[in-house]
Amino acid sequence: MLRRLLISFCLLSLPALAAADSQWVLEQATLTYHVSHPLHQFDGVSHAAKGKGFCHDGECNFLIAVPVKSFDSGDSNRDLHMLQVTRGAQYPLVSVRTRLPESAVTSAAINLDLEVQFAGQTCEYKQISFQRVVQNGETRITGTIPAKLTDFKIDPPTLLTMPIKNDIPVRIDLTWHPM
Amino acid sequence: MGFAHRLRNCLAGLAAAFLMVTAPSLMAQARGELTGTVTGPDGAPVGFALVTAAGTESGYRLAAATGTDGTYKFSLPSGDYRVTFESLGYQAVEFPVASVRPLSRLIENCEFESTEQTQNDTSAEPAQQTAPTSSGKPQEPSLEDLGIAPSQTKGNAREQALLDKRSHMLKVHQRLGLITIAPLGATLITSAFAGGRETSRASRDAHAALGATTVGLYFTTAYFAIRAPKIPGTKTRGPIRLHKALAWIHGPGMVLTPILGEIAFAQKSRGERVHGIASLHGPVAIVTAGAFGTAVMSVSFKF
Repeated sequence: MLRRLLISFCLLSLPALAAADSQWVLEQATLTYHVSHPLHQFDGVSHAAKGKGFCHDGECNFLIAVPVKSFDSGDSNRDLHMLQVTRGAQYPLVSVRTRLPESAVTSAAINLDLEVQFAGQTCEYKQISFQRVVQNGETRITGTIPAKLTDFKIDPPTLLTMPIKNDIPVRIDLTWHPM
Repeated sequence: MGFAHRLRNCLAGLAAAFLMVTAPSLMAQARGELTGTVTGPDGAPVGFALVTAAGTESGYRLAAATGTDGTYKFSLPSGDYRVTFESLGYQAVEFPVASVRPLSRLIENCEFESTEQTQNDTSAEPAQQTAPTSSGKPQEPSLEDLGIAPSQTKGNAREQALLDKRSHMLKVHQRLGLITIAPLGATLITSAFAGGRETSRASRDAHAALGATTVGLYFTTAYFAIRAPKIPGTKTRGPIRLHKALAWIHGPGMVLTPILGEIAFAQKSRGERVHGIASLHGPVAIVTAGAFGTAVMSVSFKF
């Protein structure tokens, strides 16, 4: 009976042993896209991002996801237009994946390759610079993704027949907590 | 004679404006044809498949079975429809938006995949997404790890179609609103030659014609904003609130101004000075034009 229990325990604990060595959880997030129009400059902000990082064998994988609907530019009409042009109802999430060596997690400046899924398209951004600051045991990462509308095959919306600029840089401010 | 003539002109103007406003709804009632052929994975026609067309806006719903040759045909009021195809042994297929236009034929052919094929395909998908931990590669976080349920990642084609239609109608609203500024400005300019003592009949006619054009364009513009689909759960925020609030000023103004203008016109035609309620024509028109201009600017420039 005892042997059976031991075998069962070993079998049940195998997946846990094979799991990640360490994990990171996104505590706070602010993602801000910036739009330029000849008559307007505005930002859309979201604090609704969720994220996790799994580290194993000296390598870490991170995933951040944020609902497209959660971006607020301060104007409901504009937000609905943005939701429409980015096909936000059809593709409700923006997700960002990255992989980096575990040693890089402790660097002050990190260059990352990002894979961004948005509006039904996947785009890769190479060697994007981020700054890292550690405060009270939490790691704050800040940087900007140089996103463009054409990267995701989005037609630029127009106001008074003038289109917005193709560049929509996304400022990222993430606070991670190790588990 | 003069008053009767003017009344006739006014009625003709109002009828034209009414037609401009109601033309889109009359068009919407016209019917179009939705037809096509339903085939299986091998290309063979599928008979007795259930085809359902459901209006995304109207709620109009029609279902029919395909013939033995796999064909179907609907006569539908024009509009956008979600078309679903179902048959035993096949995975259901849905076309989120099929736009039926008046007096035209839309062909939507459907090719079923067998249920087995679809099950194989979907079972292969998660295997690609989940990184194997036993291979020594780091485990990749999934959306489920973030606490995001699969239902939250699923797109809603109906909502997207609603957003597309809303944006399209509001774009037309915006363009027509901008176009309306031209006859509105011209009406205001010609008012200087229509209201004084030394005015001629021709200048008053020109002013009235421009005013009627403005009113017609204005109500057509309003139609596209009023009929644009509302997105449930959206709380109005930002400059659009001012834009909407101003409609309560320029909307009634666009009704009152031509009525007061007609009375003033009749008084002038009789050789009288503009008096009584008709003397409010000018001030009401200026307030209306001001509110309209502010409404345009409220969504065009950042304050």
